[in-house]
Amino acid sequence: MEYFSLKRSTAADRAGANLSSKVYVRSTKSGKVQKIVRELYLRNDIPCSSNLCRACLDIAPADFNQKTAPFVLSDTPAGSKDYPNGIYLVPDTNAFLTGMDLFEVENAFHDVIVLQTVLEEVKNRSLPLYHRLIALTKHENKRFYVFFNEFRQETHVPRDSGETINDRNDRAVRRAVQWYNEHITQAVTARSKQQTRVPTVVMLTDDRDCLRKAKADKIPSSTLADFVFGLENADELLDMMSAAQDQREVRSKKTELFYSEHYTISKMMTGVKAGVLHQGIFNVSPYNYLEASVHVPAFEKSLLVLGRENGNRAVSGDVVVVEILPQDQWKAPSTKIIEEETVNKNDNPEVEDGENIVSEKERKALQEEVKRAHGQSTEGRPQPTARVVGIVKRNWRQYVGHIDRDSVRTTSKSARQQQMVFLVPMDKRVPKIRIRTRQAGELLGQRVLATIDSWDRDSRYPMGHFVRSLGELESKGAETEALLLEWDVQYKPFPKTVLDCLPAEGHDWKVPASTDDPGWKGRKDLRDLLVCSIDPPGCVDIDDALHARKLPNGNFEVGVHIADVSHFVKPNNAMDKEASQRGTTVYLVDKRIDMLPMLLGTDLCSLKPYVERYAFSVLWEITPDADIVDSQFTKSVIRSREAFSYEQAQIRIDDTGAQDDLTTGMRTLLMLSKKLKQKRYDAGALNLASPEVKVQTESETSDPVDVQTKRLLDTNSLVEEFMLLANISVAAKNYSAFPQTALLRRHGAPPKTNFEELANQLKVKKGLELRTDTSKALADSLDTCVEESEPFFNTLVRIMATRCMMSAEYFCAGTQAYPEFRHYGLASEIYTHFTSPIRRYADLEAHRQLAAAIDYEPLDASLHSKAKLEGVCKNINVRHRNAQMAGRASIEYYVGQALKGKDITEEGFVMKVFSNGFVVFVPRFGIESLIRLRDLATPEPEAEFDGENYVLSVKGGVNREVELFQKVNVRITDEVEESTGKRKVKLTLV
Amino acid sequence: MAPPQPQQVHLSPAELSFLRATLCQDPPLRFDHTKRPNDFRSMRAECDVLPGANGSARIALDDGTEALVGVKAEVERSQWRPSLEARGSGLAGDAEMRDADDDDDAAATGRGQDAWIEMSVEIPGFRDDDALPVFLASMLTESLLASGGLKDRLYINSRFHWKLYIDILLLSPPLSYPLALLSMTTHLALLTARLPALKSEQDEDPLFDDDWDAAVFLYPKSKANAPDDKPPVIVLAMAVGPNIIFDPCMEELAVADAVLAIACANATASSTRARIVSVRTIDPPSHLTPPGVPNSMNSATGGTVPASSAEALTQRELLANSGVWTPPRGGMKRGLISQVVKMVVEEGGVAEEVISALQAIELG
Repeated sequence: MEYFSLKRSTAADRAGANLSSKVYVRSTKSGKVQKIVRELYLRNDIPCSSNLCRACLDIAPADFNQKTAPFVLSDTPAGSKDYPNGIYLVPDTNAFLTGMDLFEVENAFHDVIVLQTVLEEVKNRSLPLYHRLIALTKHENKRFYVFFNEFRQETHVPRDSGETINDRNDRAVRRAVQWYNEHITQAVTARSKQQTRVPTVVMLTDDRDCLRKAKADKIPSSTLADFVFGLENADELLDMMSAAQDQREVRSKKTELFYSEHYTISKMMTGVKAGVLHQGIFNVSPYNYLEASVHVPAFEKSLLVLGRENGNRAVSGDVVVVEILPQDQWKAPSTKIIEEETVNKNDNPEVEDGENIVSEKERKALQEEVKRAHGQSTEGRPQPTARVVGIVKRNWRQYVGHIDRDSVRTTSKSARQQQMVFLVPMDKRVPKIRIRTRQAGELLGQRVLATIDSWDRDSRYPMGHFVRSLGELESKGAETEALLLEWDVQYKPFPKTVLDCLPAEGHDWKVPASTDDPGWKGRKDLRDLLVCSIDPPGCVDIDDALHARKLPNGNFEVGVHIADVSHFVKPNNAMDKEASQRGTTVYLVDKRIDMLPMLLGTDLCSLKPYVERYAFSVLWEITPDADIVDSQFTKSVIRSREAFSYEQAQIRIDDTGAQDDLTTGMRTLLMLSKKLKQKRYDAGALNLASPEVKVQTESETSDPVDVQTKRLLDTNSLVEEFMLLANISVAAKNYSAFPQTALLRRHGAPPKTNFEELANQLKVKKGLELRTDTSKALADSLDTCVEESEPFFNTLVRIMATRCMMSAEYFCAGTQAYPEFRHYGLASEIYTHFTSPIRRYADLEAHRQLAAAIDYEPLDASLHSKAKLEGVCKNINVRHRNAQMAGRASIEYYVGQALKGKDITEEGFVMKVFSNGFVVFVPRFGIESLIRLRDLATPEPEAEFDGENYVLSVKGGVNREVELFQKVNVRITDEVEESTGKRKVKLTLV
Repeated sequence: MAPPQPQQVHLSPAELSFLRATLCQDPPLRFDHTKRPNDFRSMRAECDVLPGANGSARIALDDGTEALVGVKAEVERSQWRPSLEARGSGLAGDAEMRDADDDDDAAATGRGQDAWIEMSVEIPGFRDDDALPVFLASMLTESLLASGGLKDRLYINSRFHWKLYIDILLLSPPLSYPLALLSMTTHLALLTARLPALKSEQDEDPLFDDDWDAAVFLYPKSKANAPDDKPPVIVLAMAVGPNIIFDPCMEELAVADAVLAIACANATASSTRARIVSVRTIDPPSHLTPPGVPNSMNSATGGTVPASSAEALTQRELLANSGVWTPPRGGMKRGLISQVVKMVVEEGGVAEEVISALQAIELG
């Protein structure tokens, strides 16, 4: 009987050994479980990518353009003591996992071969590390090469029966190293008979078994630590290795466990699905590091997590799963300020013997909390508390901080002794990080970047490692970099690929003279309009310009002209990708971190005066009563007549002598803007306030000289009104054209509970009523919150109300129902960002959509995809928030610097009262600071806290009452904290 | 049950008569004269032919019939069934759950459901609702469900189970009655079938090991010599006169007096090595083969055609032993059935032989 097997494997015998397969089980999100068989077609033409090898150059596959990828590995790699002929490194998975920071160092670790096996394992173990590794392989100077060993016939290793996957992968790595060594030796001999310098390919692994087997097979290998030890700056480098591993070895004898074990993923997921457990983001209170809240979808109010034990090794920002505690353990949210720094000042990072998870002091602090919660009646009624049972996703990042001076045993720089020290993060919500270092002496007094590696059950604090030092504490460079890192702002210069996307003409680019030029296609010639721009003084990235003129029918034509950035930034090129990553330009006091390269932002796109520029114009016909008759959108060419600052514009308008057309146009704009503003307020728009100050800096050194609160002129709101109008008009147009994919911005109505506390405070303290049913009601009742004697009181309430609001967010039209589009603060049905494309990516996307909506150009596919747009929205929402935070932090830093060495007495207002302190806001400097009881007098005075009336009566020598909204005089000084060497603004009651 | 569709054998009455006569001899002379009554036709088999399936097998007989079986398992959410020992109300629930887990092993039987196994038989030239595929599928399912622990092993936890899809494909036209072939192929496929290893515990949403090598066999293999639970296999036996013939070929079936489909599995606990799972008689195709017409009833040869069908019947009765081919009528004698059963289950009987032969294929 002629009989052919259907099996592929037997067929492979005839076809040669270039076919292999891989079988695994895949579980899909929907719960399906599939057996997956992948066939591997093994090849012989995957190059070794060493510049020593000629043979591989011939076989390397060419791409469509007949080009082969340039070879990566140097022909003269750096050597070491053990391997003087040079080394190509082949790290295994764990080497990357523990030493990623090492590999990123500029001056070491070149010529590294990243095996496919390793790359895939890294991807499975940690996605962030995988992305960093990929970034490394693209780095030109580091010479990292990804070798697809699984696809090359010689290095492919089939799994033996009974072999675990890990063993097989280790074997694959060893096999690849072995092959590489043979191959390189061959290549060198083929090259020339004389040459004897054959680089060694060395495997880096910490696996003992793997090392032993490598030794048996005579494969060059080393542990990561041993290898680093042989390098020049070993001390610094060794600190950068993850502490996760060796820690386990050191402390394996001790079994004291501080925290309960986390649930398994499946147990958590089942619980969450069943509604027994809840998933949310772990947010630590900025006032009390022992109190965290987790907002879960099931409840309107957040759940409280009290104490380290219940926090169970979660770090602020982690996605956690919590379990609700029994009712008898419910507590009221804290009214007390607890700072880790002060409570646990004397912890020793080395010794953990006498350590409990709740240190004695912490326990005392908590006890007092409980007492308070029990003593309270209606207001501070106990809230549901919860306990973290597992962590779904760690959101650990790199943390900036400084070394706790008290934790350092020897500060001598010569002692190269390894010791355990504490890193106190800048972010108060993050616990101290234990770091093992040999350079404690140097690191004291420096801003240090570190990461968390692990947090085991038997360790009270997370374990981390040093990444790099940013510089001296309080030096401008270090502090600026620190806050950029802290807020994840991409501040590196633009890479070459991005700069390649710029127009070749550079600064000489001009609007083409001939209107037959393709650049003019579909553009209106608006060069004869009297357009001007009004911006803050010194603004170089001018996004917008305006004009107004009277029409024969008595109405006005008003135009808002926005820089046509989408003309220069085409979708999906490197520049667009970089801009979408950055999301927004970040403004610091002395620095601007651009979203787009300078050439575009400050020149080609910027609507500079006296030159022709491409613009995207919105033109309205508006009646003298500011009703809109008609709106038009068009790409255009404009020539701005003047670039005003707000102040200059105001002066020009107020100058009755000036009667030229440009000035009358501006007066028209001002008149219309006032009417528009009134209409908006009538519709229920909120006039909110946030403390805004401006730091004046010396032009040369940009050292802060003075702090001022920003003054608002009529011309500020002139520009603002028309920008709002343009944004609303564009939003409506884009939505009608792309009901699924229009990129819009919404501001959700805040849940009523957000205002509960503020409303109660106003009622108790001032007898005022805050109605929050609608934005109109809120706006009206905010208007009534005035106190004759104190004009600032209204602003204070507005500042506090603003903090109760939700934050506005970008979204994609298809993801929400139309009523949800509403912008609460602006009282507009629909809104988007259109007017600042130079500094916001959302505006750029809106430009593209509008251009497609008016049939100027087809819409790019990426803007058709809801999923992609959602990703973009998510990113720019985060970036936008971070940029704001970074900006604020920068101002805060500079305000601190401006106040350095000064001693001023200023007016302040009490914003928040705790049982052992209160928060005072100083409008003059826009600073907000805590005054603790113990700052009032030593010893710390007794005090009685009346939580229902928000009064703190301080006894003892001080003997005064502090109540909410009270106006107090405070003395502002600065002090350097002894233990940390950190400068802080200090307020004291006068 | 609907009779299977006939496979037409094109033999003349004389040939049929001759065939029957030889088969009735003692010892019987089979169509393939090299074979004894309980010899099976030679076959080629291999397993794990479909890499994407959980288990698969393929068997080809030397007459050209060939079958391919793939077994696929999918995780499915179980419908909540209120059980008799109600899980208690609220507070007591937790404690009872723990109790239920304690006597897990005891409760392991009987928690599987018949619906967790779905079988489809596809035969070229037949629609999937034609009688033959439906009848074959139901016979195969019936024996599978009756044989014991399979459906219980599909239980994951109280909320999830495996759903087993057994897809049987006959690659050739059904030359002989394909039941035995399909059954053996299914047996082999099930023997090799594996399910991903469960990592989660108890009533959690199931989570599986992504290593296929860690997958567990659907029919677990014990290390000791103790006989494992094995899927059932159906053997076909036919009776001709006093003789019993196993695994009849198409021509032999055309003259069978009666046909029995016997599903047997290896016994895990009894003294004999095999046990009967189910027995069904199959309407033999011989009932439908056209009868021979004797000369006396053929007008062409000078006979007279009977006036009525009743008369024709009487005439045929009379001619029954004259050597003219008449289709057999009636059922099977009890004695014959017990004889067949004995031959199947006895020590070293047909069942044991078939099962161990299939086992050998899987191992090889």
